[in-house]
Amino acid sequence: MKSKRQLQKESTRQKIIDTAYRIYATEGFSASTARIANEAGVSHGTVFAHFKSLNELLECIIGEFQISLAAEFHDMGESSASVSDFLDAHLKVLIAHEEFYLRLITERSLLPEEVQYVYADNQSTIAHHFNLLLSREIKNGIVKEVPVHMLFNTWLGMIHYYLWNKDFFSPDEPVLARYAGDLKHTFISLITK
Amino acid sequence: MKVCIACGMPMEKKSDFPQGDEQKEYCVYCARPDGTMRSFEEAKAGMTKFIMESQGFDESAAEKIAVSSMKKLPAWKDEFSKE
Ligand SMILES: [Zn+2]
Repeated sequence: MKSKRQLQKESTRQKIIDTAYRIYATEGFSASTARIANEAGVSHGTVFAHFKSLNELLECIIGEFQISLAAEFHDMGESSASVSDFLDAHLKVLIAHEEFYLRLITERSLLPEEVQYVYADNQSTIAHHFNLLLSREIKNGIVKEVPVHMLFNTWLGMIHYYLWNKDFFSPDEPVLARYAGDLKHTFISLITK
Repeated sequence: MKVCIACGMPMEKKSDFPQGDEQKEYCVYCARPDGTMRSFEEAKAGMTKFIMESQGFDESAAEKIAVSSMKKLPAWKDEFSKE
C-alpha cells in the first residue's frame, strides 16, 4: 500500500499536469510555469520538484495525450477494426482534446525541439496503426492502391485544415465534433474503390 | 505489461517477443534473426525507416526524431552518456 505521503505527492503531480494541460489548451504554450504553479495552488519550486525541467513537464503532458489515444485504439481491437472504427477512435480522442491539439499543431514551432520530436514520434505510432489497417484493406481490394503514408497525411490534412480555420468553420462551438461525420464519410468515399 | 527497452513498444502478446521468449526485455522488431538485440546503429536505422515510411518524412528529420526517442529508452542509456 502507498503511504499517505506518496499519495499526496502523486496527487500534487497530477494537479500540476491537469492545470498545465488546461492552461496550455486555453492560453497556448507561451504560458509560464509560474502561471501554472499559481493556478495549481503550489509554489513555483514545487513544479520543479516534480518535473526536472519545462521539457519534462511538456513531454509528460503530450505523453498523456498519447496514452489516451493508445487506450482508445486498444479498446477498438485492432485485428477486427474497420477503417471507419479507426477514424472514429481517432476523432473521439481529438474531440476530447480539441483545444489542446489545436495548440499543438498551431504552436508546435514554439516548443523546445526535443518536445517537438516527442509529438512527431507519437504521430508516427498513430500513423503506423493506421497504415497497418489501410494496407490490409488495400490487399482486400477495399481501399485504392495509394501509398499508405499519403492516405494518413491526407486524413490529417483534412482534420488540421478544419482546426486551423476553426473561426470560419465553427466560431462558437468545437469544430471537430460538428464536422466529424462529414470528414469521416468524405475521406472513406475518397479512398474506397 | 512489459515495454521494449530498445524501442518503447508495449509487449502484450507472445508474438511480440523475439522467438516467443517472454523473458526477453526487447521486442521481436528489435531482435536479430538469431534472437540477440540489435545494435544502436541498427536500431537507429530501423526507427528512422519506420518514421519515414509511416509519415513520409524526410530522412534527416526522421533520424532526429528517432534519436530523440532513443534517448529516453533504457537500452541506449550508455550510448548517450558517452557524449
Ligand atoms: Zn522494440
